[in-house]
Amino acid sequence: MASSLGSAPLPHRSVANIRSPGPGSASGPSTPLRGIQSSFGSPSSLRADEDLLLIELGTRKLHIGFAGDPVPRGSVWFGPDQQRRVGDFRVWQPDHKDNWKQRAACGQWGQDHELWKSDVRGLDLGLVSDKIERAVREALTKYMLIDSRPRRMVCVLPSGLPIPMLSTTLNTLFGRFAPPTISLLSVPIALVVGAGVRSALVIDLGWSETVVTGIYEYREVHTSSSIRGGRMLTEQTHKFLAARLGQGQDSTSAGATEYLLSFEECNDIACRLVWCKPSSHSTTGTPDDGLATVDEQDETEAHTHHDLNPQIDIPLRSCEPPKSLSVPFDELTEPCENAFFDDSRYSRASFDDHELPVHILIYRALLQLPLDVRSLCMSRIIFTGGCANVLGLRKRIFDDVSHLIQERGWDHVMGKAADEVRKKSQTKTQGTQPAGNGGGSKSPRDDQSNIWHDAANSSPDADPIEEQLKKASSSRPTVKGEMRAIESLGSWSGASLITQLKAPAIATIDRDIWQQQGAAGASRATEVDPKGQRQSLGPGGLIRGAASSWTLGVWGVA
Amino acid sequence: MAPLTPYTYIQCPCSDESSPDADDDDRTFDPRAARSNYSLYGLEYLLYCEDCHQIRCPRCVAEEIVTYYCPSCLFEVPSSNIKSEGNRCTRSCFQCPICIGPLAVNSLEAQPDQTHLAAPDTPSASHGGPYILTCSYCNWSSTETGIKFDKPNSIYSQLAKLYNGGEHRLTPKEHKERRKEALQASAVSGDPLPDQTLDVETHFAALKAFYQSQLADANASTTGLSSLEGLGFASPASLSRIMSIYTGGSLHDKRAKSRIGTMREALTSDEGLQLASLDESSSISALRLHHASTIPPTTYQHQTPHLGALPPHTGGARFPSHLRPIPCLLRTKRSKRCPLCRHIISKPEAKVSTTRFRIRLVAGSYVPSISILPLNIPQPSPDGALAPLVPAQFLLKFLNPIFEPVRVTLATPSKTPGRFGAKVTVLCPEFEIDANTDVWEDALKDGVAGKDVAAGARVRRGTVGEDGQQQPEVGKIWERGRNWVSIVVEVVPASLRLDLLAATGKFAGGEGVDAGPLREDEDVLEIPMFVRVEWDADTGGDDVGSGVGKDQKEAKEKRELAYWCVLGLGRVRQ
Ligand SMILES: [Zn+2]
Ligand SMILES: [Zn+2]
Ligand SMILES: [Zn+2]
Ligand SMILES: [Zn+2]
Repeated sequence: MASSLGSAPLPHRSVANIRSPGPGSASGPSTPLRGIQSSFGSPSSLRADEDLLLIELGTRKLHIGFAGDPVPRGSVWFGPDQQRRVGDFRVWQPDHKDNWKQRAACGQWGQDHELWKSDVRGLDLGLVSDKIERAVREALTKYMLIDSRPRRMVCVLPSGLPIPMLSTTLNTLFGRFAPPTISLLSVPIALVVGAGVRSALVIDLGWSETVVTGIYEYREVHTSSSIRGGRMLTEQTHKFLAARLGQGQDSTSAGATEYLLSFEECNDIACRLVWCKPSSHSTTGTPDDGLATVDEQDETEAHTHHDLNPQIDIPLRSCEPPKSLSVPFDELTEPCENAFFDDSRYSRASFDDHELPVHILIYRALLQLPLDVRSLCMSRIIFTGGCANVLGLRKRIFDDVSHLIQERGWDHVMGKAADEVRKKSQTKTQGTQPAGNGGGSKSPRDDQSNIWHDAANSSPDADPIEEQLKKASSSRPTVKGEMRAIESLGSWSGASLITQLKAPAIATIDRDIWQQQGAAGASRATEVDPKGQRQSLGPGGLIRGAASSWTLGVWGVA
Repeated sequence: MAPLTPYTYIQCPCSDESSPDADDDDRTFDPRAARSNYSLYGLEYLLYCEDCHQIRCPRCVAEEIVTYYCPSCLFEVPSSNIKSEGNRCTRSCFQCPICIGPLAVNSLEAQPDQTHLAAPDTPSASHGGPYILTCSYCNWSSTETGIKFDKPNSIYSQLAKLYNGGEHRLTPKEHKERRKEALQASAVSGDPLPDQTLDVETHFAALKAFYQSQLADANASTTGLSSLEGLGFASPASLSRIMSIYTGGSLHDKRAKSRIGTMREALTSDEGLQLASLDESSSISALRLHHASTIPPTTYQHQTPHLGALPPHTGGARFPSHLRPIPCLLRTKRSKRCPLCRHIISKPEAKVSTTRFRIRLVAGSYVPSISILPLNIPQPSPDGALAPLVPAQFLLKFLNPIFEPVRVTLATPSKTPGRFGAKVTVLCPEFEIDANTDVWEDALKDGVAGKDVAAGARVRRGTVGEDGQQQPEVGKIWERGRNWVSIVVEVVPASLRLDLLAATGKFAGGEGVDAGPLREDEDVLEIPMFVRVEWDADTGGDDVGSGVGKDQKEAKEKRELAYWCVLGLGRVRQ
């Protein structure tokens, strides 16, 4: 595999430096204690075979539980509390003062709340390893209440996770917790299973980025992302508040942004008060006509909602001296607007793909999908990620995307052109406005329910499987071609379902093999005979193919 | 700036080998590196293995569970319940969702001032129901979420059957039966079953049941089609064919597609399909009115959804009306073993009500402790900060806890790592400390009682200066007691001025001088110090520290313990 490694890997995809030691060295970076293997190692009597630990790692938190449970047993958030020396209680002393300004001046505004960042360059992977280890250890002790016998693990990871981070994760878990095997599942697949569908468009409004993944028959067929996410929302919230404190950020100066408020306070306000205003193309009425989410509070407010745009008092404690801001309620939509939709700062052509506004990102993702896949995916939109909790954001995105479809249609991907479009540059596709073309093929059929039907998609290609599916569900035909959002249990719970159904993981890695070969030993997924890869996660049901070939699934090879 | 109390932390030797730079032998441990925080421990957090003669930290012990218990009601929970019933107390122990204080069960009819903390399951008030949970710290009460209980005990199971607002929540089993009845009714009437919103657990149960029935059906039909593989129900291979999650292959691979089989999607809420209701305008209206009472994310994010929790995107997590009382997390008592030799190094009493240990080999009984005292601090600030560029002297007092005399060797870098390296001189880096002999033995020997012995045994080694003050001397210890020695360390803190840093950087021709702003705690003067402790121990028994057999001097063995520690001396004036 070494030769394939050398063939033009991206700089951050190189695993040569971080993989576990070669077969020659028994102890090294990944083996913390000489001889720990021999004592913790394989005697099966020492293993707790019945428990399968399911761990989901995200940028800001970790979920842990037993596979088969509906929800995780605990969550650990990465944060400054995790990063102190054991026994350092200075922050709890009454005279302690938070030095957030000092941290911010060194470019640490919220980074201490993250496990990793999407750019591996300059990332201290050893520190990532320490963070994972401490968080997992805390989770095992506090929430799982288990002893330290080795247990098989299932890891749910973002499918775009760069190889060095995946490798660090595996090194840490294998080296410190000695599971006999670790199985990998990807977040989008887990979400799809957790929604009860086989195909979907997963919109992950995550912390460091928004990732759009097209899934067709449990396979990831498209992924694109934009840096518009929780971090940007928090930054925009700071900008919003700082401007109202009378000291706008001096973004023209060459230096980094000067922060007037702490990350923690801005994040708090972003989570509590920032909301998203409805789409200008929305066909539903004013926010007050809402029926969907019934709140107990509605009963009392029915009598009192005369002021639709009250002044909101926001106490700010992290500035010097503490202040209180009064902001009209409607203006609290501004950070969300700037973070997810704003395109004014760039000319359309100059958008980097990784900073597209989310509705354009999603429209383009749909546009790039083949016709039949698209019609299935657009009817199975799954919103997930922390920012999905911004009130009104999901509906706004949904309406804006629906509007884009209505306005532009899929003209460029009709018929035989479909394949070409996938190869075409996106900006080119975007540039030519399809205003006059093929109006008949994209007329909204059902305005009242605000569901848009794509007539072109309602004629599926003949397919024996589809026929069978139809037969099986004659009462309710497969929904396709119309915009529809569905809920998923979430990625942890979806992964728990997959595991409990004894479905195969994307990849299952054996501890001994990993410690000998590291990520460089993984074959390309396509090089492996699927039959050799059939492995199940069920209790005692592990069937392993030829040990000589194994893969990292969608995470590929370096 | 708060004055800094001097401190010491020890790096567990286990982390040394996991360091990526381990092959660099001359490397100085940098306590300020971000990773160092993960390997440094206060001495009281470290254990010791007598067989391996090694420090053991929480990262390098093997743990076994002695008992599971609820910290609130002290009820011991059988281990079999942990897997089936979860990690929380299933009786009546709850924490306040606002302030995590303990919640008490009170009768709604009781006087509001009767908020004494009733023991769970035995409410003191003999009032009748309904009952509520109340917090005596922040005055939160379950009535704020519309929850009342009929009985004062078994609150956990009562709460599991209640949604906020008081609506009855069906257990998955009840839910199934209810739907069965509805299904029969709809078969009669011809109306389709209405879709419904499911909570997380019910949703999970519905999906699980759906997938299992699909897999059973698919299996039944495929065995007829391709009997080649002839696989039974829970066979992983047939499942992989059906789910085909891992398969690579192209999108339009007909062969792959035909292998997918006939498992279909969930189509109704019964089967676990949940259409998303994206309209959150009522929550936005609630925010407009109740913005002041929203819950900070730190309060709800750290809770995992428990019984009766809402589906993920109901948008309301921030409103107090959505809070649920938090069932108390169970705790464990754990015994700890050395991972290498499997000897037990810590074992608590099994009884829940006691905090005692049967065995506890704390590192403090084996490793000399170091306390730091200022000796000569010229020109200190009012808050005790050290003056830059002015030599300051500190006393390091080493206390030997073991019953053998020990030889201590210290090594520090002459300049501390980091941008503002301080000059460090340990005046006496090698010395011996007498054994921690029994105070009473000394007393008997000298005929003097108790503590005065130790005081009387103090010997000062430094020279006395003209002003009557003792002067530190190179190569000599400062003071010696029964089982302790103090030595002098001299430091010259660097200036924290960034302009000087940049200037010296330029002068030295260094291009890459980091003249960025001062980092958090960069003004704290920390000294990394490598400590080597050697002693001769009995080989006769395992009781190195027990003091038994100290007269049998014939069988002695050389022992050595070496580790990095970090001494925090104080802040440097800016
Ligand atoms: Zn250790
Ligand atoms: Zn209890
Ligand atoms: Zn409270
Ligand atoms: Zn040992």
